[in-house]
Amino acid sequence: MTPTEPPPARGPAAPAAVRPPLPVKMVIAGGFGVGKTTAVGAISEIEPLTTEASITEVAAGVDDLTHTPRKTTTTVAMDFGCITVDPTLKLYLFGTPGQERFGFMWDDIVEGAVGGLVIVDTRRLDDCYAAVDYFEHKGIPFAVAVNAFDGKVEHSLEEVRWALDVSAGVPVVVFDARERGSVRDALLVVLELALARTEG
Amino acid sequence: MADGTADGAADGIPPPGPAPVGPAPAVRPYLVTAGRVADAASGRALPLETQVVATAEGLDALGRLSFEQHDIVAACRLPQSLAELAARLRLHLNVVRVLAEDLREEGRLAVYVPDAAATRDASVLRRVIDGLRAIPDSRGVPSDTD
Repeated sequence: MTPTEPPPARGPAAPAAVRPPLPVKMVIAGGFGVGKTTAVGAISEIEPLTTEASITEVAAGVDDLTHTPRKTTTTVAMDFGCITVDPTLKLYLFGTPGQERFGFMWDDIVEGAVGGLVIVDTRRLDDCYAAVDYFEHKGIPFAVAVNAFDGKVEHSLEEVRWALDVSAGVPVVVFDARERGSVRDALLVVLELALARTEG
Repeated sequence: MADGTADGAADGIPPPGPAPVGPAPAVRPYLVTAGRVADAASGRALPLETQVVATAEGLDALGRLSFEQHDIVAACRLPQSLAELAARLRLHLNVVRVLAEDLREEGRLAVYVPDAAATRDASVLRRVIDGLRAIPDSRGVPSDTD
């Protein structure tokens, strides 16, 4: 009965002791109006948030004097959501801003992402070329998800694969951006691909 | 659904009445950072998902902090990503980046830069996969707009 031990810490831990979760980032890309925000909203535990971010656009020509591409920084609105896996792990889903212009860089958004999902509307396939090229160039694991608007897909997956000219290792799936389970399964395809890469 | 095409301002005459999108910010974004910008182009800027949380020191100093610094520390009682912070405080991401760096240097904010290698670790990916698999199908999501 010797009260020598100091009493254990009690009450709420000091705020500074709150250890944040490890954030894991995935990117949802595709043309304007293709269903990116819908997909994020279908599975996010919070209403999708919007923030202003910067992207760098590379002009089509080169500067005659310096022979370097002209770059300009543009502010764009970016939607995102998140899923808490457990208190130590949180998945963030960032929708890249729709961009149809010639060259652009999402590096600021995509840096460190474990994978990407390129959403495709088969009526406007060319809207997603930029996203496919970007992920291929960066070596980021990605899948193509054909959004079945009104439950219909106008082209077969083989036609989509041929039109996009993606390599055989890139999964092409059909999904419904409004359905949580469907978005979940599309994200799982990307994560399984990322996992397979780590296992060589 | 908003129609993003041309509206009435094309003739150069400002339309009467309030601005269509909401009031313009009273302060230009980079005024609050004294013109400093985050080094986004070089890839050395803090990633969007960087977690920030107020320190005890920061919360103690809350009453002495100015507007944006005050709001950031107050919002970071619980861990936040920079992206969430920017969205909730309606600040440009790059402004939040600069201010978060300042607050870290002053000891008022703990900034946890994500370790890209850790997030690509197989065991982490497996945990994310298991976590996602546990999410049930929804019974119809009302959202049908983009």
